[in-house]
Amino acid sequence: MVKEPILISATAHYSMGGIPTNIRGQVRKNRDELVEGFYAAGECACVSVHGANRLGANSVLEALFFGRHVGKEMVKDIDNLDFGEVSEADAYNMVQEINYILRNNGIESVSKIRDELQESMTENAGVFRTEETLKKQLEILDSLRKRFKHIRIEDKSRLFNTELQEAIELGHMLDYAKFIVEGALFRKESRGSHYREDYPKRDDENFLKHTLAYMDKDGNISIETMDVTLGKFEVKERVY
Amino acid sequence: MEKSIQTKNITVKVFRFNGDTDVLPYYKEYKLEVSQEDVVLDVLNRIKWEHSGSLSYRRSCRHGICGSCAVKVNNKGVLACKERVFDLIDLFGDELVIDPLNKQRVIKDLVIDKKDFWDKYDAVQPYLVADVEEEPEKENLVTPDEVEKIADADYCIQCGACYYSCPVIEVNPEFIGPAAFAKAYRFTSDNRDDAKIERLETVSQMGSGVWDCVKCFECAQVCPKDVNPIDKITRLHQQTFQEGVAESNVATRHAVGFKHSIEQHGFLDEGGLVFYSEGPLGMVQHIPEAVNMFKNGKIPMPWNLPKSKNLEEIKKIVKISSTAKF
Ligand SMILES: Cc1cc2nc3c(=O)[nH]c(=O)nc-3n(C[C@H](O)[C@H](O)[C@H](O)COP(=O)(O)OP(=O)(O)OC[C@H]3O[C@@H](n4cnc5c(N)ncnc54)[C@H](O)[C@@H]3O)c2cc1C
Ligand code: SF4
Ligand code: SF4
Ligand code: FES
Repeated sequence: MVKEPILISATAHYSMGGIPTNIRGQVRKNRDELVEGFYAAGECACVSVHGANRLGANSVLEALFFGRHVGKEMVKDIDNLDFGEVSEADAYNMVQEINYILRNNGIESVSKIRDELQESMTENAGVFRTEETLKKQLEILDSLRKRFKHIRIEDKSRLFNTELQEAIELGHMLDYAKFIVEGALFRKESRGSHYREDYPKRDDENFLKHTLAYMDKDGNISIETMDVTLGKFEVKERVY
Repeated sequence: MEKSIQTKNITVKVFRFNGDTDVLPYYKEYKLEVSQEDVVLDVLNRIKWEHSGSLSYRRSCRHGICGSCAVKVNNKGVLACKERVFDLIDLFGDELVIDPLNKQRVIKDLVIDKKDFWDKYDAVQPYLVADVEEEPEKENLVTPDEVEKIADADYCIQCGACYYSCPVIEVNPEFIGPAAFAKAYRFTSDNRDDAKIERLETVSQMGSGVWDCVKCFECAQVCPKDVNPIDKITRLHQQTFQEGVAESNVATRHAVGFKHSIEQHGFLDEGGLVFYSEGPLGMVQHIPEAVNMFKNGKIPMPWNLPKSKNLEEIKKIVKISSTAKF
């Protein structure tokens, strides 16, 4: 038998959690309030049908069922909704973000920062995590976020600029990574697909809760919790 | 025996053109070390991420499912995320030239405007046409035999590799092309679909339809998903007859001519075939070819025309299997 090495790497199969919504797809502002006129459905949303682990093939439920259901609910609401106020400053922020990336003349490369982000997240915040690896990852993230401010891209054109797209995406990835790490650090237990080697047991007393995380302008995250509606089903230990 | 990962050094020339700033396209050369694991997309990514961030190409899924990354390497249509670089080195040596699928349609570098492809794709109604219940109570069952008929037509990822390699597309912008034909067949062979006749009418027009395919098999060669569009085109030919959609024209008469010849002689009479499909005037136009064919023994004189020994049986077979009305 010939043995040959093959390259393998971890990949993102599904984002658990996401934009919190109620069962009609309306986005939650916090535990008690909704954001008027803002809906989410599909993988980006978290209506909480999956518990702490989205099992194989169940994405269909969110993507197909809730896509349709939330669409219908939006149709019901639309006559009673007005356009929200939009200030010029809001548009300016988005244009600024793009211009910043196009014009910035730093020394950092998008692909290098992204590689380091991917490798360190897999290593420290992957399937098995501990307080130690997660804290280490927070430091790495802070340094990567600082370096991101000094990127430079070669493509300055406004035509099919995939380099600009990759840079914008990296900015978002750096934000999301922080949500993942802070959420994992907060949850001192193991549940669903979240496995803390330093807290291998499920702890319903303290953590049978949703995590709501908010990021402020400086990139700091604060965490609240929300009760879980269990409905018919009891949470049980996974034994397979 | 343990083996280590092999590498090779190659030179890659990449087509570059930015419609915003460049007057003319040019090739940029990059020297890279590639491993046996690398596919063409790895090469493009490495150029973009390590050498020139502005290199533009479409890609998304990285595993042969979204259909966005098709390009040409040394003129061969390939799906960049599937085609192994080592296989290309075996074919072409260590200098690879990466081009967009179609240089006339370039927006930027390897990114092309696929509007023509999508317009033709739309023309065959590439979706199920059926009265589907709003809230169905049970599944719409399709038996394994019925699925079998759809063959591999469903695997198409709309990458366009076949379309932009088809020689007919190059000379005839009306031609619907292999991918859309395969898609049309995917639905004309689906027993749940109600638009079979409409689709068959669309694909059997002269100029744009299946009869203008020159059967070069290029589409079957390049397809990264083994859709085999030419096979679907042949099946569409048959369906147009089965459904009575085929109209009498030079192309369909050519096809039916085969049948007449077999029915009369049990053999193929190639001279008679031209007479049947193109008429006496057409015959005259083909005289130079006819002379050649005669020299090569392909056209026997009428008095020498052989007849099959089992002609009666052959006639019966033709009669029960034929769907042509002319
Ligand atoms: C490799 C892989 C295999 C999988 N296999 C399975 C499986 O077997 N079973 C299963 O149930 N699930 C599976 N999943 C998960 C499932 O496929 C996804 O969760 C599901 O497809 C998500 O659908 P969606 O419509 O919510 O989001 P998406 O399909 O991700 O759609 C989001 C859309 O938004 C667009 N978009 C993004 N940003 C913008 C913007 N700024 N403006 C406009 N548009 C934008 C994107 O281009 C995209 O089209 C798999 C996932 C992966 C990656
Ligand atoms: S076989 Fe027909 S459709 Fe396919 S590439 Fe050749 S001419 Fe085009
Ligand atoms: S038939 Fe094959 S080559 Fe043509 S578009 Fe579909 S997947 Fe691509
Ligand atoms: S990147 Fe999706 S098919 Fe190649």
